[in-house]
Amino acid sequence: MRAARWLVAIAVLTVLPPLLPSFLVVVMTEIAIVALFATAFNLLMGFGGMVSFGHAAYFALGAYAAAILVKQAGWPMLLGLAAAPFAAAAGALVFGFFIVRLTHTYFAMLSLAFAQIVFTVIFKWKTLTGGDDGLLNVWPPAWLKSPLAYGYFTLAVTGLAILAMHAIVDSPFGYALRAIRENPRRARFIGVNVRRHQLQAFVLSGFFSGLAGGLFAFFNGSVFPDFAYLNKSFEPLVVALLGGVQSFFGPLAGAVGFKILETYIARQWPVYWPLFLGAAVVLVVVALPQGFVGLLQRRAWRTPTAR
Amino acid sequence: MADADGALVLQVVGLRKHFGGVQAVNGVDLAVSEGELRAIIGPNGAGKTTLFNLISGDLPHDSGQIYFRGEQISGLMPPELCRRGLARTFQITSIFRRLTTLENVQTALLTHHRRHHDLFRPARRLYRDEAMVLLDRVGLADQAPKPSGILAHGDQRRLELALALASEPQLLMLDEPTAGMAPRERHEIMALAAGIATDARLTIVFTEHDMDVVFAVARRITVLHQGAVLAEGTPVEVRAHPEVQRVYLGHRAKPAR
Repeated sequence: MRAARWLVAIAVLTVLPPLLPSFLVVVMTEIAIVALFATAFNLLMGFGGMVSFGHAAYFALGAYAAAILVKQAGWPMLLGLAAAPFAAAAGALVFGFFIVRLTHTYFAMLSLAFAQIVFTVIFKWKTLTGGDDGLLNVWPPAWLKSPLAYGYFTLAVTGLAILAMHAIVDSPFGYALRAIRENPRRARFIGVNVRRHQLQAFVLSGFFSGLAGGLFAFFNGSVFPDFAYLNKSFEPLVVALLGGVQSFFGPLAGAVGFKILETYIARQWPVYWPLFLGAAVVLVVVALPQGFVGLLQRRAWRTPTAR
Repeated sequence: MADADGALVLQVVGLRKHFGGVQAVNGVDLAVSEGELRAIIGPNGAGKTTLFNLISGDLPHDSGQIYFRGEQISGLMPPELCRRGLARTFQITSIFRRLTTLENVQTALLTHHRRHHDLFRPARRLYRDEAMVLLDRVGLADQAPKPSGILAHGDQRRLELALALASEPQLLMLDEPTAGMAPRERHEIMALAAGIATDARLTIVFTEHDMDVVFAVARRITVLHQGAVLAEGTPVEVRAHPEVQRVYLGHRAKPAR
């Protein structure tokens, strides 16, 4: 049954792209990257109860690691992309070591502070990062350059990554992570080393965020300091909230909704886009706390609400 | 120690803890032998819960020593104590509310068996049978698929007992296990804990406000008053102790909770 659903999803995503206008293929590619980023973010928020306000740091570390290795060090694109999640995970390990020592608001604020540090370093270290000008012409090789080829490639990579995260959430590690979200004190008394477990989750989340950043670098053909800026940090938060943080696939649904709205509304009425987005978030938070997916299923996925 | 059951499982020597100007635990000595069912009683504010929190590693103490099965455990953190065989429950029910009853116990079992770093194996089927045995033991087998947060209060208390038992402890500390329960239920859960203790050769230390429950199950009782041990002995000895009667039993023969 579950396997059948995965097969249907794979079949649809295999057949669909060539039938779409190439503009929509590009939108679809971006949706996949945002979905990966938001799902990685929600590994912390939805399953670990840790709200990061600075996840752009790991997205940007991934994007810049890929771009720098390809542009400045001459690595092949696939190797550069493969290095992206590891660079981000290394950053998440160092920053996370301090961040998981705090909880709630302080956790969020310290994560934001580290992201601002990453932004500033990228902005100022001109010789390595190009500073404000960014790094341009970060394109994939010829065989991946067409929107359709890169679209398929992105779907495959994000699909595998999301599948891996799905397994993680369902694993013993994921059970212990949800236990910490529910009740850190009790978790400690059944033998979980809470901070260490949280740090591991933080590194995993950073890893997949960095992969999203790497994919985006080659999608965009360039990287800029604002990949590490506040707006980028709030993107996965908004996307996860819209889709539903209590469900594994909530952020995926949120990414589809967010990008389609952005494509059709932000491009028509760019001035009113933030107003519209703000209103949408208010509506979801107040009326649909389980997000878009809450409309589809009465119970949140595998973690029914207790109260 | 007079109790001749065997080796000491828990020994506390000169334990002290203050909060600001309040000396919550003021030089407590305590020795609990293997297989004992020890009640710790005392009026509100006597230091029972603080003593529990110190022994279980939830709070650091100011001075004194704590030995668990002959080893010094002062300063060890709860996860390490759990691994060494010390488990506890809390006065205010402490469970994983948005996990199902079964998932609660499975998570505790996974952790106990050091499997909680496993990233890719589906946890759903791991230790499922063992978890069902434990749930059956505490009378919750039919509640297994329900989110634990919607269970009745008494059932949540039972679940917390199962969580503590999942780590196969040698010492189980129950902080007011019957808090908020109806009188009949109180005797049931204490009888359950006592039965499990006998079967598993488990040592239990518990605090309790309901004197009927205490005198029904405890074999030895320690009375705390103002952070220090006022008296200790069998239920008969404690009941007859003049100081205990004066500060505690006299005006608290039938406590409200």
